[in-house]
Amino acid sequence: MKRQTDIAVIGGGPAGLSAAVEASSFGLKIEVFDDNFTPGGQLIKQTHKFFGSKKHLCGYRGMDISKILLQNCASAGVTINTEACVTGIYGNILAVLYPERFEEVESKAFVVATGASENCINFVNNDLPGIYGAGAIQTLMNVFGVVPAKKVLMIGSGNIGLIVSYQLLQAGVKVAAVIEALPNVGGYLVHSAKLRRMGVPIYTRRTITKAEGDGNTGVNSAVTSQIDPNFNVIEGTEIQFDVDCICLAVGLTPLSDVLELAGCRMKYIPELGGKVALHDEYMKTTRDNVFLCGDVSGIEEAVTASLEGKLAGLSAALYLSHEYREKIEKSRLQILEELRIFRDGPFGEKARKGNEKLVREYKYER
Amino acid sequence: MAEFPKTAECIVIGGGIIGASIAYELTKVNFGKVVILEKNTVSSGSTGRCGGGIRAQWSTPENVRLAMESVKRFRELEGELGTDTEYEEGGYLILAHSDEELSQFRKNVEMQKKHGLQVELLSPEEAKKVVPLLNTEKITGATWCSTDGSINPFLINFAYMKKALEQGASLYERTEVLSIDKEGSKITGVVTPKGVISCPVIVNAAGGYAGTVASKARIELPLVPHRHEILATEQINRFFKNMIMSFEHNIYFRQVKDGGIVGGQTNPGEPPGTSVVSGISFIKEMSVKLGHFIPALGDVKILRQWAGLYCMSPDAQPILGRVEGTQGYFHACGFSGHGLMLAPRVSVLMAKAISDTSFHDPDLDRLGLDRFEKGIASFEKSVV
Repeated sequence: MKRQTDIAVIGGGPAGLSAAVEASSFGLKIEVFDDNFTPGGQLIKQTHKFFGSKKHLCGYRGMDISKILLQNCASAGVTINTEACVTGIYGNILAVLYPERFEEVESKAFVVATGASENCINFVNNDLPGIYGAGAIQTLMNVFGVVPAKKVLMIGSGNIGLIVSYQLLQAGVKVAAVIEALPNVGGYLVHSAKLRRMGVPIYTRRTITKAEGDGNTGVNSAVTSQIDPNFNVIEGTEIQFDVDCICLAVGLTPLSDVLELAGCRMKYIPELGGKVALHDEYMKTTRDNVFLCGDVSGIEEAVTASLEGKLAGLSAALYLSHEYREKIEKSRLQILEELRIFRDGPFGEKARKGNEKLVREYKYER
Repeated sequence: MAEFPKTAECIVIGGGIIGASIAYELTKVNFGKVVILEKNTVSSGSTGRCGGGIRAQWSTPENVRLAMESVKRFRELEGELGTDTEYEEGGYLILAHSDEELSQFRKNVEMQKKHGLQVELLSPEEAKKVVPLLNTEKITGATWCSTDGSINPFLINFAYMKKALEQGASLYERTEVLSIDKEGSKITGVVTPKGVISCPVIVNAAGGYAGTVASKARIELPLVPHRHEILATEQINRFFKNMIMSFEHNIYFRQVKDGGIVGGQTNPGEPPGTSVVSGISFIKEMSVKLGHFIPALGDVKILRQWAGLYCMSPDAQPILGRVEGTQGYFHACGFSGHGLMLAPRVSVLMAKAISDTSFHDPDLDRLGLDRFEKGIASFEKSVV
């Protein structure tokens, strides 16, 4: 006999944990499946404080937010399975691969909160040891306490690139420079200003063309060049940095394979970072019992992920029981309004446009 | 973009390997204006979902001949189409699991040899020499043909299509044929959401949807589409180049050039239909089977799974050529899962039959629709 649950949440980051807590208030059995040793997703490696109100768990460090969410899960009776890698949703069956066994779990509804994977870019020797994604650098430093390198070149000046550069400095690692392909720094001024005060140069309209080193000892230098407005390399503008690590913070792609395998209608939406499942504003996909939230529904950040998680959790609960319809519908409207406020402003513009596109497509499909 | 055509000399329905290769062979002999209509995108149907195997080890003489002639064409095609297609003659190793199966294989080999195919019966020890990591415990023997092989289905499909377009054909993707017009017994054109095309000749190369397309011309085909599943693993060092097949265990698999294992099986009891949803039992069964045949694969991770359609005919052989009583209608369908490997020969024969109404070929004639009324000569047994 297969193990049974009411709602299976795939992914234990801010989105998934928020969904689980929210759905648990309606007498439903909730299980979270996370492939890591420790649940919490990206939060567990985030040592910086979040901007925003306490109501949205801002003002705390990311790693402390994950502790709060996990405490909430525990008091709500949510079961969390760790080292539980979900390989697919087949009808009502969740396929889960643990280190030593395989399990099929039967669930009435699914909330997919699988997050995103880090992007790579093309340059010569981009597979040398010493070339990491920013997430990997954070995991090494902040989760396992391992110093990743002596001197790093950061590629990408979005918030992740800037924050990880600062964390590297805090860990005593030198940051040679931050390289940005666009004409302007991508992240918040407050982060870039901190770096500049520490003497880290930020080069815009510049990209990495080549890593040097060998397969045994790893990277020993990085060659960068200026680029024209069409992103073509301008000859004769090379700057070489002697570094033993190149960190890529060049964006994320929604990790949506599970949704596609589950038979949800997918759509490529560049504003959201790649292929995403069509869904309505309440996070329901084209499959009635499959919901999604967080980066898998479009790349944003932890607060919107958490709000989307609450929406998805409420929608999944409503799908299973109409007993609390009025209460759930009221809460959902409230969260939608909070999301709208969060996405208001220039930094939320991309997500706003992408989400509008998605909901429009969803309605068209229906 | 050019305006949607109002007329054509020939409309090919389907942008898979069959439609693309026929369009190529037709434009090569300057047949006239050829229009290809594809309801989704090029190679989005059975071709782009198949395992990419090419073999001539069949149980019916028609299939053996078509496949052997196709291998000759495959050898020319990379040069002729000017594209790398990853064509490789890595061989097919077909495993026998009982004395009974072995004696059927012996008969097949005898017939195949008569047609000039270089094929041999191997002992389990000899089979192990071909793939040293193969578990030969429960194997009674095998057949081996070194000129069988594999190809990248997308690359050959796109290559045929690209050359056909260069030779003057035009392609319309996401253009479904809604209905087929007839005047009396003559084909006069097709209706699509983008417009009506007047045309005296249509070719049904619609793969899993061939039966639906034929019914629009009021022709009934005895075809049944079935879902077939397939998977691909992560890349590992390449240790065999051939396809491994077992009819007894319903499985085929090979290691593609980049190192991934690609393989599939026939799901027992699969109901007819055009669903291409992926299933969990397939993954479980395939994991066990692959681990049985090559124990070293036990820890290799599966990267993805997908499904496609076999369009099965009653004798598991294709339905080709003209139809009695409907002038201007041709079909090349019902390949029963083997369209890719027969396409190079079938497309040449089809182009000849379309451009010359007096053309006859024994295989084309024998594989006509009327065989199901006259009585089927032979059933293809070597199908996974």
